[in-house]
Amino acid sequence: MTVPIFELPDELRLSLITKQFPCREPQIRALATLLNPSSAPCRNLVVYGTEATGKTAITTALLASLDGDSLRHVIVNSIECITARHLYETVVGKVAAALEWEAVPPRCESVSQLTVSLSKMLKYTERPDGFRFVLVFDGIDHQREAPHTLLPALARLSEIIPNLTTLFILTSPPPNNLLTTFTPHLHFPTYTKPEFISILSLTPPPPITPTTTPSETLDLYTRFIAAVHDSLSRSASRTLPSLTQACHTLWPKFTLPILNRTHTVKEFTKLIVLARVHFQDESLLDPTLSLSPPSSSLTPNPVKTTDLANLLPTTARFLLLSAYLASHNPTKTDLTLFSTFHHGRKRRRGGFSSGVGGGVAGGGRGGRKKGSQHRKIARKLLGAHAFVLERMLAIFMAVRTEWDPASRGRIRNGVVEGGEEEVDNDVYMSIATLASLRLLVKVGGGGDVTDLGGKWRVAVGWEVVRGLGRSVGVEVEEWLIE
Amino acid sequence: MAEINEMGLFQEDDHRVAYIFTAAPTTATTASPNTTATATTTTTTTKGARGRPTKRRKLLKKGTGAQQLDDDDDDQDTTREQQLQDGQDGEDGEGCTQWPRLFDGAESVAAAGLRREVYESAWPVLEKEIETVLREANRQTLDDVVGFLNSEVHEHEGKGRVPAGFIITGPNIAGQDLLFGQLGDALRETGEGVRFVRLRAGEVGNLKGGLKRIVREGMNTGEKEGEEGEEQVRVGGRNGRRYLDYDLEALRVFMQQKGKGGRVIVAFQDSEAFDTGLVGELVGLFHSWQDRIQFSVLFGIATSVELFQARLLKSTARQLYGAQFDVVQANAVLESVIMAAVAGTKAQLRIGPGLLRKLVRRQQEQVAGVGAFVSSLKYAYMNHFYANPLSVLLADGQKLDKEILQPEHLEAVRMLESFKSHVEQAVEEGKLDHARMLLENDSYLKVRISRQAAERQRYLGKLLQSLALVTATELSKRSFIGLYEAALEEGIFLDHSPGPFDLGDAIKRSTPEELIGLINRITAVIVDGNPSLHWKGMNSDQDAKTAVNKFEGLRADVERLIEKSKENKTSLQSKYSSQSKVLRTTVVAQKVQLSRDTATLTEEDNAFTEAIDCFFAFFKDLVGCEPLSSLFLHEVWQYDYHLPYEDVFVPRPGGTFARALTRPHDYLGCACCDKANGSAVGTLPATSILYHLYCEAGALINVADLWAAYYALVGEDSEIGMDERSALVHFYRGLAEMRAMGFVKQSKKKADHIAKLKWL
Repeated sequence: MTVPIFELPDELRLSLITKQFPCREPQIRALATLLNPSSAPCRNLVVYGTEATGKTAITTALLASLDGDSLRHVIVNSIECITARHLYETVVGKVAAALEWEAVPPRCESVSQLTVSLSKMLKYTERPDGFRFVLVFDGIDHQREAPHTLLPALARLSEIIPNLTTLFILTSPPPNNLLTTFTPHLHFPTYTKPEFISILSLTPPPPITPTTTPSETLDLYTRFIAAVHDSLSRSASRTLPSLTQACHTLWPKFTLPILNRTHTVKEFTKLIVLARVHFQDESLLDPTLSLSPPSSSLTPNPVKTTDLANLLPTTARFLLLSAYLASHNPTKTDLTLFSTFHHGRKRRRGGFSSGVGGGVAGGGRGGRKKGSQHRKIARKLLGAHAFVLERMLAIFMAVRTEWDPASRGRIRNGVVEGGEEEVDNDVYMSIATLASLRLLVKVGGGGDVTDLGGKWRVAVGWEVVRGLGRSVGVEVEEWLIE
Repeated sequence: MAEINEMGLFQEDDHRVAYIFTAAPTTATTASPNTTATATTTTTTTKGARGRPTKRRKLLKKGTGAQQLDDDDDDQDTTREQQLQDGQDGEDGEGCTQWPRLFDGAESVAAAGLRREVYESAWPVLEKEIETVLREANRQTLDDVVGFLNSEVHEHEGKGRVPAGFIITGPNIAGQDLLFGQLGDALRETGEGVRFVRLRAGEVGNLKGGLKRIVREGMNTGEKEGEEGEEQVRVGGRNGRRYLDYDLEALRVFMQQKGKGGRVIVAFQDSEAFDTGLVGELVGLFHSWQDRIQFSVLFGIATSVELFQARLLKSTARQLYGAQFDVVQANAVLESVIMAAVAGTKAQLRIGPGLLRKLVRRQQEQVAGVGAFVSSLKYAYMNHFYANPLSVLLADGQKLDKEILQPEHLEAVRMLESFKSHVEQAVEEGKLDHARMLLENDSYLKVRISRQAAERQRYLGKLLQSLALVTATELSKRSFIGLYEAALEEGIFLDHSPGPFDLGDAIKRSTPEELIGLINRITAVIVDGNPSLHWKGMNSDQDAKTAVNKFEGLRADVERLIEKSKENKTSLQSKYSSQSKVLRTTVVAQKVQLSRDTATLTEEDNAFTEAIDCFFAFFKDLVGCEPLSSLFLHEVWQYDYHLPYEDVFVPRPGGTFARALTRPHDYLGCACCDKANGSAVGTLPATSILYHLYCEAGALINVADLWAAYYALVGEDSEIGMDERSALVHFYRGLAEMRAMGFVKQSKKKADHIAKLKWL
């Protein structure tokens, strides 16, 4: 029995896969030809393309359908391999499993040992004519702790073992790919707009109302996908999953007027205009930790107790606010802001409003408003600067009595008790708490945590700090030089 | 050898940066661990290791590490020996002698032992109690988390993602241990194949370490089978294949053999402390293995999910699918802890109102987590029983036979504030005999003392009964802690109008329905007590029965009145709730006339008013209590001292340094500096003089100027008359000490200047 020299892969199998992965027919055919033992098997093959273009899925499906007596395959995912050695051992283990190799796979610490093991299993064992083994390295460019010779070494495997095909799946082709011996490359381009539409419209949503026909829904859905693609995907995100997610999220909002019976399925333009706000909202492309509410929280819980502002003890909150001020105010303004020298308790800038909130916009704050028209970028937008711990403590001591009248000591039966005029260990403990929560971050290594000269930076943003300030009755805005 | 030894000692002393004044130079200057151990453990032993010579350090010319180890071992040995000896002493019937005898050593061994016994029976009960409270507080969260992990929600909604539970634990990092321990137990109970792996940031440095831990714990938790695995490579799988110890494949094979599709739950206990990249990589791995091993993750989050998420990579966030769970926060737990451990019947010692207020305030303002509170509580107990000889009076009546009370005890009792006021009161009331007997007759006093235990029980019963009833009304605006503090400090008087317990108005204003609810709650409390206080209802059945009968009669009356008024189609109201006086406005000829009108109360209304009055009178009978400080001998079972607590838990090192340097004579007690009174005088130690000068200087100090100023104070022209050379030596030494304490450092800005470092 002779194996024909050239034979195209089985059409039936291919058509199944092409149906499974629409808009990828040329790539599937090319891949099938290059892998099929009876077509044009090659030694090394590079499959590349950006994220979510179907490289791994198509390779897996195709190899699974080609798998048989004359072809065996193994797919090794580099993400799961922690070290290069781990990769080698995984390869050997998987190859042995695929070949139903009896012996216990040996330990494998380097590429040469890998070559020996693979040769033993593939080269020096009787195999039927035209047998090929396909070894797939998925995401090999993301391999951790990879020696820089890893890729060339793996590419040489197929030269040593003739019936081996090595397939590399990469995100982008290696930069020097034209300088080396020829390796076939197969590119998986990103999907185009018509392709996106045709893929997504394969799974149309159920009819919106019982009266709309499926074809009407499909028609509307197709136009809707195009609109979503134009408004969101083109500019911000180009992968299939994100577009799918965006469509799933937007579709209920988009079809709401139809459900309310104010518009019909035919009025696409009007629907678009109504849903314009949602289409401009790029935040839905932002992957968030999707949270499903725990089942027991059906009972309404109006007070959100897990707010950061409620979690921290008071001193820690003041310290965090002081750290924010130290991070965002230039040092030279400290005297103006915090010194009460010469002025009694009167502030030079800004009025300290107790509980009134922004009600004191006139008067003291007017001057700053005028000056602030010339500013370029608000300092709070520039991110946190590092500050010296001692400065933060000084700010803390300066504002503490003002923010927290209780710290001056409570008057009880005419006797002041519990006044805190100096830094005690509880303050350091609060600093340690904040540091362990990574709300305060030490900048630069070395030095003890309690070193007053150490540099720190605040790691929370403006929104959090504002909420935190309000929880203790402080409008942080009034203490910031913008 | 001896020479080397000598030199070693000398050097050790020389390297000490700050001058430490030892008040009583009787003990050896080289405080070797051995001697300190002896001092603490055997002050009361007559035999034992007291006479032992101090241990000589063996100095080898080779590395010092071995010698160190050797030394430590020896120390341990000696302490063990001593413990053994002590134990034997105890068996001899002399009681545990480890506690020092008070009254300047005059206290009998038995009394000291009894104190210790009382302490050991008092504290562990409370500790257990507190743990129960804490565990109970976590229960809801546990149920939620277990429910979420076992639910099928993530099967369809979060398809292909890793289920993740975000547990908001709050900044109480110490409490996380308990919570996650409980979680592990609860999760393991839910299913056979559940494997729970706890990761702590401190233990997991990198990806490999984390995986190793997961693999190891994942394979160990079931039965102890994986233990035969070696450290490097583990033998697993039926074909005996060896896996790398960070290979999740090993875990997969292991779990496959176990069958039943087990799952692995990985808990990141303190997520904030983890390197974000590490979390991302681990989650990525779990996600990629999800089709073979069912992974779930739990994150203990101290801040908020938003902040945590902001730190994660977006691709990582996309791989997670989860729910958020809240833990009961420390402030809420604190109240139940106080109810159980401070106010409850199981607490032997009453924490006084002042200290309690301080503790609670510190808890709310400074500390995250209940741990600090519990240790403060323990410290108070230890202090009381360790240092107060009268705490022996807290022992049971049988153990406290009259032999144990020594003349010193009685003398101490006669010194007490409460004894004095008691006697004064007796004199005022004309009970002169009683007062005289108390002062002069020892056996009379002993009888009075032994009677106090019952008195104390009665007082506590009344206090808790009042508190339980007041909280049962749900009318007081104060929290339980506030009420308890006020009750101890001022007593419970319902009549005192602006006070914490002025419930009179609120009760009188209640509507008939509210009154019935009130009666129901109160009878329930009278019968069943308050479980969180461990108060078991009114103890004598007779009292309880009469009280319940009274209240039930009242309830029947009120119900009857409601029925009647319904028939009459009027609403039932009392004198207090109805606006009996109505202001009427009439406009007559463009003038407004005001007239008062008294609304008439129906017969039922009057009856209801009577019922309310009656209820309040009953209630007042049951509720009421004296302030704690008015009780005779309350010092025996009350602890209300801030100072040792503050010194231990809230030290102020900065202030202490400053004070010691400004007024060293307060500590040194030397005669030469008496007149200094906080100003710079030449007789002060050099460092102290320099500190005074330092305080007057600016940010940069010229060393030459400093020297000149210093020399002016101590030099030949001054009273001290030190010559320049020795003055310079002192100066350098002082400056070096200042630097070591972190007050100054070499300035790079100007030559020959030092920079001031310490401002606060």
